[in-house]
Amino acid sequence: MVDLIIFIVLLFLGYGFGRAAEASHYKSIRKRERFLNRIPAIASRIPPYGEPNFDSQLVSGNVVISVDYFKRFSATLRNFFGGRVTSYESLLDRARREAVLRMKQEARSLGATMVFNIKFETASIHKGNGNTIGSIEVLAYGTALIPNNIEVAHTANLMR
Amino acid sequence: MQYTNPQIPEGINTSESHPLKEFFILTGGVIAIVVISFYLLIVTVDFFADKIPFAWEQSIPLESLLESDTAEAPAYLERLTQQVAADMALPQDMQVTLHYVNSDTVNAFATLGGHMVLHRGLLEKLRSEDELVMVIAHEIAHLKYRHPISAASHSLLAMMVLSLFTSSADDILNRLMGTSGLLTLMKFSRDYEHRADAAAVDVLLGRYGHAQGAVGLFEVFKAERGGSEPLEFLNTHPLTERRIQRALELAEKQSGLPAEQSADKKMQPLPAEFTRWLAAQSASQALDKSTTP
Repeated sequence: MVDLIIFIVLLFLGYGFGRAAEASHYKSIRKRERFLNRIPAIASRIPPYGEPNFDSQLVSGNVVISVDYFKRFSATLRNFFGGRVTSYESLLDRARREAVLRMKQEARSLGATMVFNIKFETASIHKGNGNTIGSIEVLAYGTALIPNNIEVAHTANLMR
Repeated sequence: MQYTNPQIPEGINTSESHPLKEFFILTGGVIAIVVISFYLLIVTVDFFADKIPFAWEQSIPLESLLESDTAEAPAYLERLTQQVAADMALPQDMQVTLHYVNSDTVNAFATLGGHMVLHRGLLEKLRSEDELVMVIAHEIAHLKYRHPISAASHSLLAMMVLSLFTSSADDILNRLMGTSGLLTLMKFSRDYEHRADAAAVDVLLGRYGHAQGAVGLFEVFKAERGGSEPLEFLNTHPLTERRIQRALELAEKQSGLPAEQSADKKMQPLPAEFTRWLAAQSASQALDKSTTP
């Protein structure tokens, strides 16, 4: 009986906190995505501009997000019935977008105009631990293109 | 060549549906599956349980377990038990074995092999023979309807089914399924209690012409509980209030006497000899406690 009450309380807490965290995270993600849209991140492996005009550097963004009690329970039920695990879909969506944003943030601080050849790595960091932790990690990395000093003026002119 | 990143449209990688909606549908689904399958299994098992020969039940070695703390019951209790058993027309091969335990526990129960156990704690609370007969008849009714073997089969079945289902699944899911299975079993347990109550009320009507013993006994329970009872669906026994209600309805139907009229019927007092014996038992128990460290 006590078990059941604890379970329901945890579920409610998980839902409340998880929902609030997700809503505020999405709000922040959308805001920063609009801001960092000026630095395109593309998957192409070939540098788009003439190489001599740009320095290149590895940039990466890494994020770890934990699943809440409610999401985990929903996912468990989904394991039983099958179908889209919607509670984890939003979790991974947030993690991927956040990782790209952090990568772009680094690129911006280096003065880069774009990031090419971006890649993702995803890992769940609860492996071997049963369901004690249940967090996911997403790493986004790519090559930032930073205009050379002379070219800065040039690109600036072009953009004008 | 122009490179841009478009604003990612929402709702492609994630689902717009409300998480609570999914949660309730899925949880409801799991509970419904467990409850329905348990219900069907239990009904099937019950069909077979009372066809198990009573002799098989007797061959289960429970005796040694029961006798560890039982004491000699007075002749009066033995006599009353045999009288009630005779009133209830038990099957030919069924014998009731009475056990008395000198402990403060307010409880009585019937178990496999026709064993009935009465604790001093409960006997002390009783104020009349009617109430005592109600207790004994209720427990014998469980034996008559083979409730112990049914209940044992239910638990065994529940364990088997749950272990089959949940061996690979998550701990939380196990708990959800276990709980809903348990609550289904409890529903059957409550039905058994109602059935045993009804049979016991019949015995009371046959002996005394009224069922005040049932009402008296349930009031003892109510006083014991201290007024607060948990929700019925979380319990193996029905609410005491409902048991009183049912006993009165049944008594009215069987005897044709309105409940208000039977309310002032006098109950048979317990023999003085028996109450003296109980007091002596209680005193000896207290002595035992004070001498053992």
